[in-house]
Amino acid sequence: MELRYFVLRRVLLLIPTLAGLLILVFALFMSLPHSLLELSLFPGIPHNAALEEAQGAQILGLPYTLNGVYHPGLPLPLQFGKYVVRLFQGNWGYMTVPIYSGSVIGAITTFFPNTAQLVIIASILAIVISIPLGTFIGARPNTISDHVGRIFTFIGYAIPAFVLGTFLLAIFSKGGIIPIFPSANAFSASAIPNPPPSWMLSSGDLFITSPTHIVLVDSLLHGDLGLAWNTLMHTILPVLTLTYGLLAGIMRFIRAGMVDSARQEYVKTARSEGVPERIVIREHIRRNALIPTITVMGLIIASLLGGVVVVEEVFSYPGMGLLTVQAAVQTQVYGVLGTTLVFGLILVLANLIVDVIYALIDPRIRY
Amino acid sequence: MIVEEENLKKIENYPYLSVEGLVTQFFTSGGIVKALDGVSFNIKKGEVMGLVGESGCGKSVTATSVMDLIPDPPGRIVKGKIIIDGFNIIGDINKLAKIKVKSEKNVIIKRNRKLIKRHNFILSKIRGRTISMIFQEPSLSLNPVMSVGKQIMEPILLHNRIEISNSIIRRETITKEQIRTFYTEALKIKDAMERRKYVNQWTNMFGVAESQDSILELFNSQASSDQIERDLENFLFGEIEGTNLRVIEKVRDYYKTQEELFKLHTTLLMAEENADSELIEKISMEIRNLQRKSNKELFGFKITYKFLRKRIDIPYVKEARRRALELLKLVNIAGAERVIDSYPHELSGGMQQRVMIAMALSSKPKILIADEPTTALDVTTQAQILELIKELKIVTGTSILFITHDLGVVAEMCDKIGIMYAGNLVEEAPVNDIFYNPKHPYTIGLLKSIPRSDVKRGDILESIPGSVPNLITPPSGCRFHPRCSFKMDICETNKPKLVELDDNKNQKVACFLFSREVESSE
Repeated sequence: MELRYFVLRRVLLLIPTLAGLLILVFALFMSLPHSLLELSLFPGIPHNAALEEAQGAQILGLPYTLNGVYHPGLPLPLQFGKYVVRLFQGNWGYMTVPIYSGSVIGAITTFFPNTAQLVIIASILAIVISIPLGTFIGARPNTISDHVGRIFTFIGYAIPAFVLGTFLLAIFSKGGIIPIFPSANAFSASAIPNPPPSWMLSSGDLFITSPTHIVLVDSLLHGDLGLAWNTLMHTILPVLTLTYGLLAGIMRFIRAGMVDSARQEYVKTARSEGVPERIVIREHIRRNALIPTITVMGLIIASLLGGVVVVEEVFSYPGMGLLTVQAAVQTQVYGVLGTTLVFGLILVLANLIVDVIYALIDPRIRY
Repeated sequence: MIVEEENLKKIENYPYLSVEGLVTQFFTSGGIVKALDGVSFNIKKGEVMGLVGESGCGKSVTATSVMDLIPDPPGRIVKGKIIIDGFNIIGDINKLAKIKVKSEKNVIIKRNRKLIKRHNFILSKIRGRTISMIFQEPSLSLNPVMSVGKQIMEPILLHNRIEISNSIIRRETITKEQIRTFYTEALKIKDAMERRKYVNQWTNMFGVAESQDSILELFNSQASSDQIERDLENFLFGEIEGTNLRVIEKVRDYYKTQEELFKLHTTLLMAEENADSELIEKISMEIRNLQRKSNKELFGFKITYKFLRKRIDIPYVKEARRRALELLKLVNIAGAERVIDSYPHELSGGMQQRVMIAMALSSKPKILIADEPTTALDVTTQAQILELIKELKIVTGTSILFITHDLGVVAEMCDKIGIMYAGNLVEEAPVNDIFYNPKHPYTIGLLKSIPRSDVKRGDILESIPGSVPNLITPPSGCRFHPRCSFKMDICETNKPKLVELDDNKNQKVACFLFSREVESSE
């Protein structure tokens, strides 16, 4: 089958996957004690009153309108069905958490770019560092550099992100030994010019920049170096925490793959043809070592998304992770459903990309 | 006259490959595996030598050692000489790594990285060019993620750069004068085959080999000679591609320096072997000067080449691809144009082995090592591959070291045969002597264990009792003595030397039944 049919099939498979994900999260929420649920949906309104007045949420004078998203009187499957219909209409519901209050779509557009900034920088850094380092140690197994590399990667593997993050915070942020990095937020409020420039949309203390919504990129595009620097300083510690775990994983796999493919016959063939050692390592050993590495990339991406949740919590970094955690703690059904949907979508798409790259790098794979 | 004749004889008998007292060991956690214990043999120009023995007797280790491809760790060549075309490739073997044997299981190897680097550099210029190898398992021997064409082109691009550069330069700067001489020379040759050969040579030299058929057609056309000459001129001037010759010249300079460095390093290595301190001093100076010069002159080019390699290599890749196609046709691959862009897994075993042979022959090596090239193939393909190797041997005049455990194949292919047992060469003789007049008890046993047509049906097939010994703790003296039915007392204590028989100088046997000579061990 051709590659595009494979991609099409996988994109179609997205639908049942995400539907399953939503049903699971929804079911988990609906199995919570009813009172807890009602309380989170209608803060401050007694249980019975909520039921009676469900349809007229506006009358209750809540800060936002429930707009009929929640239908407590209906059976659960119908409730879910109505939610899905609203989802397609662009109404993902509402949420109230400490860092945000408003529509879920609004929350995602505000916080997702920050997370994207972290994840993209961390992935690029991890790949750029791990491939040469992994190649280096993989080409000299059981030498001193390999042992050093092994210790380095095992630490990265073993140390949980929240431990590393906390250590980094304790050492490098305010009150630490070397207080050079800020400790919270994606950028300091003081770094934003007053009044905010036209490319910054502000609502309260939240800002959305255009055109890319990623503050670092946008501030560079508009030549605001001060804000760019400030944002960069805020991202360094969380990025480092994320990168280390990711890097260790990729490096281990490249190293193992290199040691394995160095033993293969075709490497001997290449050497017997007079191919210089440097090119043997780069073209013959490493290219084959990258295949298993790319296979596990899908898993590594999943762990990266998990890591983002923890890292943002530790560094109070306003991103999707922090949003998800707060939504879960406050039992905000729509908040959790919405963020889960986004995470699920990213994970599935990332795995699709991994599979396509896999097919490109290994001619034996045909879809 | 006599002297001249002697010289001629010397040239005829000049061994392309000569192995002397080769000792290869593997240092494993279970102990030292004494895989090769002083193997010596010679292969002359155009000769095919077969190595035969049971599994685990050291045939493949011999082949891999000759290429110096023993995986390190755990293995190392410990002692000996491998002289390829007059140059001992392991002349500095003792300096490459210091091996300290504390006990069987505790061996410390100290490698000298700098010398190993030099060693690898020298070998990268010898492997694939003077000596190349075909492996046992074609499906594992080709890189699965690289197209067949790319793999064949790799050695071509490594070893023929200067030649290709020259032909490109000649093509781009061709003059009317050159075309005229070519034309008149070609006209002088009346014989069609000879003319074809000449045109082939000339087109190769001028980088237009692709269009040699059209040029030959021009010759055969009915037009007047003036007209043909004009057509030829137009045609050849039309072939000019406007390649940037300055870049081509730089590439040629770069590879020329590499070549010079290689030659200097080999001379240096030989000087070191002979402990000629004066020459060592001189050559080291020259190497340093050359490196300094190349660093100065080619610095900019090296950086450009690193980033623009793909673009700069376009004319080279074009020529290499043409040669690769030619090679694929040479090894009888049908539909070479299609095969060249396919990946190894898309080909059958026989095709893969043909591709391997094409790769091995890409730079017209003087020695070809075939390590059980047909074992993994089915019988009909086996026959085809053997036929192919035989044909190619006649065409290219390559010497072949043929390793197999199939005595039938050996009888078919080889001029002489070496019988190996437990890391030793126990008998070496021309094919007929081995089959009709075997001497060593092991050879006799080996021959008896072949199913034969002249034996009565129902008779038991003989075999040699016992099995190949564990080479961590090999038997003392002659390694064959525990299985030998002619065992004497001396066999347990001393190791026999491989010596010529009194009545046949071509047959050598290592057995106390024929000679009392003892292999000296240090």
